Parts: sequence; C-alpha cells; structure tokens
Amino acid sequence: MDPSGIFPTSYRSDRRIIRTRWQVLALVLFMALLLLAPYLVSGRIIAILNMMMISAVIAVGLQICTGYAGQINLGQAAFMGVGAYTASILASKTGLTFLLTIPLAGLSAALFGFLFGLTAARIKGFYLALTTIAAQFLFHFAVLNLPSTWMGGSNGITVPPAELFGLRFVGETAQFYMNFAVTAIMVAGAFGIVRSRFGRAFVAVRDDDVAAGIMGINVAATKANAFLIGAFYAGVGGALWAYLIRFVGVDQFTLFHSIFFVAMIIVGGMGSIVGALVGVFIIRIIQEIIATVGPNIADSVSFLGGDIVFAGMNVVLGGVIALFMILEPKGLMHRWNIMKSSYRIWPFPY
Amino acid sequence: MVYFINDIITGALIGLLYSLVAMGFVVIYRASKVFNFAQGELVIIGGFIVWFTTMQAGLSLWLSIPISLVLAGLVGYAIERIFLTKLIGESVFSMVMVTVGLLILLRGLVLLVFGPAVRPFPIIFPLKPLFLGDMLIPMNLLMGGIITIVAAVGLSWFFNRTRSGLRMTAVAEDHVVASSMGISVKGSIAFAWVLGAILSTIGAMIFLSGKSLTFLASDIGFAALPVALFAGLESIGGLILAGIIIGIAQSLTTNYLDPLIGGSLGSVVPYIIMLAILLIRPTGLFGWRTIERV
Repeated sequence: MDPSGIFPTSYRSDRRIIRTRWQVLALVLFMALLLLAPYLVSGRIIAILNMMMISAVIAVGLQICTGYAGQINLGQAAFMGVGAYTASILASKTGLTFLLTIPLAGLSAALFGFLFGLTAARIKGFYLALTTIAAQFLFHFAVLNLPSTWMGGSNGITVPPAELFGLRFVGETAQFYMNFAVTAIMVAGAFGIVRSRFGRAFVAVRDDDVAAGIMGINVAATKANAFLIGAFYAGVGGALWAYLIRFVGVDQFTLFHSIFFVAMIIVGGMGSIVGALVGVFIIRIIQEIIATVGPNIADSVSFLGGDIVFAGMNVVLGGVIALFMILEPKGLMHRWNIMKSSYRIWPFPY
Repeated sequence: MVYFINDIITGALIGLLYSLVAMGFVVIYRASKVFNFAQGELVIIGGFIVWFTTMQAGLSLWLSIPISLVLAGLVGYAIERIFLTKLIGESVFSMVMVTVGLLILLRGLVLLVFGPAVRPFPIIFPLKPLFLGDMLIPMNLLMGGIITIVAAVGLSWFFNRTRSGLRMTAVAEDHVVASSMGISVKGSIAFAWVLGAILSTIGAMIFLSGKSLTFLASDIGFAALPVALFAGLESIGGLILAGIIIGIAQSLTTNYLDPLIGGSLGSVVPYIIMLAILLIRPTGLFGWRTIERV
C-alpha cells in the first residue's frame, strides 16, 4: 500500500505493477542475476533453481486459486500430474514440440480443475477441500487402473527431451533457460491476471461472496475460473517437470506434494504473487537442507533408512504450516510490509 | 447366493469399522466445528500405543487396553492444547490448514519414532472366524460392529439428550456465540479431541487385531471420510447407516465389478459416492442444513 499523501492520479498509474524506479532497478538486477546464474554457480545450485522455478509456476497458480480467490485446493499436485501426463503422452506418442505440449498440458489440467471447480459453485470451506482431495484420489486411481498402454500404469512414462529447431534441451543449463522463459511468462501473466477484472473479482469473492454477488459478480463462474486458472498453472508446471525429470510416475503427484505447495503459499503469504515466490524459495531451501542432512543422520540412526528424508520433510513442513497458521497466518509478505511501513513512518507509530 | 450374502455381511461390517473411524471425525466436528483431516494419523498413533503397551511393555490385554485408551486420550488432549486452543474463533481456512499440517506432521513423527518397519499387532479379538452355515464372518469385524453400534447409540444419546452434550453442540454452531452464553469452548474442544483419539484407538484395535502394523494403516482415515460426509457431519446415529451402505457398495464392487474391468474400482467407490453426495446433497443424509450456498 502507498503511504498517505501519495495516490495515483490516473487509472493507468493505479494499475501499474512497477511503481518506482528502484523497483525497475531491482527487477532488472534480479532477472540479470538469474539469467547469468549458470555462469556464476555450480550445477547443483542450477538443479535446485530449476526445481524452484517449476514449483514457482505451480505455487503461483495455487496462490491465485487459494490466496486470491479463497478456494481451498488440496489437489494441486493432481492437477500438476494431469499436466505432466498430458505433456509426456503427447511428446512420447505424437512427437509434438514442447511449444505445443506445454500449453496443451496446461489446458488439459485446466479442464480437469474446472470440473472440480464446478463443485465450488455449490459448496465452500472445508467441504471444498474434500472434493479436491477426491480429485487427488481419482487421479491416482485413473492412472493406476486405466489400461497401462494409455498412461503407463504404475510403470510411468519416459519423456523424450524437449527439442526446438534441432536444439535439444538436455542438461541442467539448457533446461534452466527453458524453465526460466516459461516461468517468467507465467509469473508476469499472474501479475496481469490479479490486477485485471478477473483478479479483482477473485478478491471480492474471497472477502465476501454474498457481497460480491450483489455487486454483480457471477460468483459461481468466478470460483470455477479460479480453479481453471490455478489448474492451468499447475499443468504448465507439470509439463516442465516432465521435461526436467524426463519420467513421470504417479508417485510424484500425491496428496503430500499438494500439501507442500499449500505450505509454500502459507509461508510466503496468502494473496501475494511475490509471497508465493518467497514461499517457494524458503520451502525448497528447507527441503534441500533436509535432503542433504537427512542421509547423514540416517547413517547414525540406521533403523530409519531412506525414509528419514520423507519423514523429516513431513515433520518440518507440517510444523511450519501449523506454526504459521497459529503465529503468522498472513505469511512473511505481510510481516515484510508491516516492517516496510514502520520504517517509512519512523519515528511515528502510525 | 451364499457368497453374495456373505459379501454383503462382510461389507456391512467393514462399513461399520469405517463408521467407527468416521465417528472420530464427527465427534470432533460436533463439539468443536473443526474438521480433523489427521484422523487417520490418530488411528495409527492409537495402533502404536496399543502395540507398545502389549508387545513392548508386555502387559496383558486387560491391563493394556485401558492404559492405551488413557494414553490415546492424553495424546488427543496434547494435540488440542498445542495446536487448536489458539485457533478458537479463527477462520475455517486456518482450522482446515492446521489439521492438514497435523496430518503430515504426525505422519512424519510416527515414521521418525517408530520407523517404517512392519510390526505384529496383538490379537485382541479371536482370530477364528464365525461360521454361519457356509458363511464365514471375521470375528474382529463382528465384535467391532457391535462396539460401533453401542458407541454410536451412546454418543448419540450423549450429544442430543444430555446437558453437557448439548453445550458442545452449541460450540459446533458458533464459537463466539457459545462462549458468550457461558459455555467453555476450550473445554468442549479438549473433550472432543480426547474422545476422538480414544475412538480412533478403538478403531485401530478392531482394524489391526492380529494383523501387521505399519504407518500405512492410516489410510483408513481417508477411507472413512466419505462415510462421515454421507451421514452428514453432525449425525452420529446416521454413521451406522452410511457406513453400512458404503461398505456394502464397496464390497460388491470389489467382488463383482472389479474382476470384470480388471482394476481396483472398489477402493475408489467411496470417493465417487462422496463426490456425488457433495454435489447432490452436501449436508449428507442426516446433517444439519447449515451449509452456506452461494
């Protein structure tokens, strides 16, 4: 929020995403750093950055659906899985280029999400969370029980590498640029969506759906749209995931992964795109630390074996979710904004 | 024909087991307006407590079962004190998310403390099935069904007829209104979690009796979810009917439809029923008609 006394004088300036010169500078520096990252840091970090960017696409989608439109979604990993499977089936069977498979993956996930979003037109609150959990289970069931020539069953599908004009996107660095391009487009799109009339409708429905309906917003359609957009992002992220890992299996898209994405937006802050990115960064770092430290601990406490990483991840992330809900329900971005404004108006309390 | 009837009876009894686990959901919801996604984790913690008191500490069943129930109640109380007391009056979203956080937190803790090893579970109910003519009925499910029905009738009476039960019902309606009427919201929620944990432990005993115990058994929590919704989240008596219907539907699908299509449709039938319920009649069979529609 702007400080008092500073207010936009035109609609255009009100809608601006980048408001000050410092923000331009920060954005340019950030993008330049990211673009140069492959020359600056080692391959391990690039691999982590790849995961972060893919998670960012998915978490931003969840942020639009849950953070902006207020629709609880515990099936984001299933939507991601639909996208990943669509992309890998299209790529491995028809040989379509990734320029087509990624949007198509997004669309098929969006369709799947829209179907479950339609239920949001009738129910809300945790009842809605239940239907998204049902989406999660139905996705698993469909993959495992449909004929294995369709979706690979429990064997999964191997994905051919992404290719453009004879250029193959293999290896972490090449994929880094592919992920970077898609993530940049998707995040920029998210900023556009949330400041458009759709985004404002989402916020209105989240804050009070009865009031939103009285103001002329089609509440049911808005809720379904929120799921559609959120699932589209998840589908695109899933397609990127498929090209990165080059293999999709149903175990990569469980309820636990959905909860991890929810943890990201809770930590970052609900209702903020930047918050989603911050949350992705923090949660991925935590996961990386556990994945690195876990095996060392496992050596000394041998009876746990390889499960310690999964167990540790669950304990830490479950604890993080519960702690944030109790202590800082609005997330880190909210805290950051409070700090910013108290710095600005210092030494006055408000 | 005998097999058909046998399938129906077994299905109904499994359904009653789901009802018992679902009763944990309903009791917690009925007294605190919190929907506990971590119910399956409570079942598995109950299972490990029973395992610990019998197999590890070597107590006899008559001693270990009451001790396990008390311990389970303490665990429920601790969870409530640590996580939920602070959220009284908060939004539905916070409550849902905290129990979702609990779901993965408890799952991880169980894994860290007990590890992924498969453990034998004590035989609490006789292993020998009951033979009725050509039919064969597992003893643990039969006894479990009886326990479920007794528990349902008792709790239903408690929540609908007694003074303290009705107080808790008021808490489920609205935290703020209830506390301004002089009802202790904290006490009600604490009681609900203790009761929920105890019911889950009884469920674990019936479910696991004589089988093996791993952390994967918590999946029964999600299997019981559709039963709770089908009955309507506020109805304890309705759970019996809902459990029987879903159990029979699942058993018949598993035994007759799955061989035809060559898949495990049986495991997903409850969710299909749940989706249909949510779309057609979100309050379930006997729930209060308070769901806000837009």
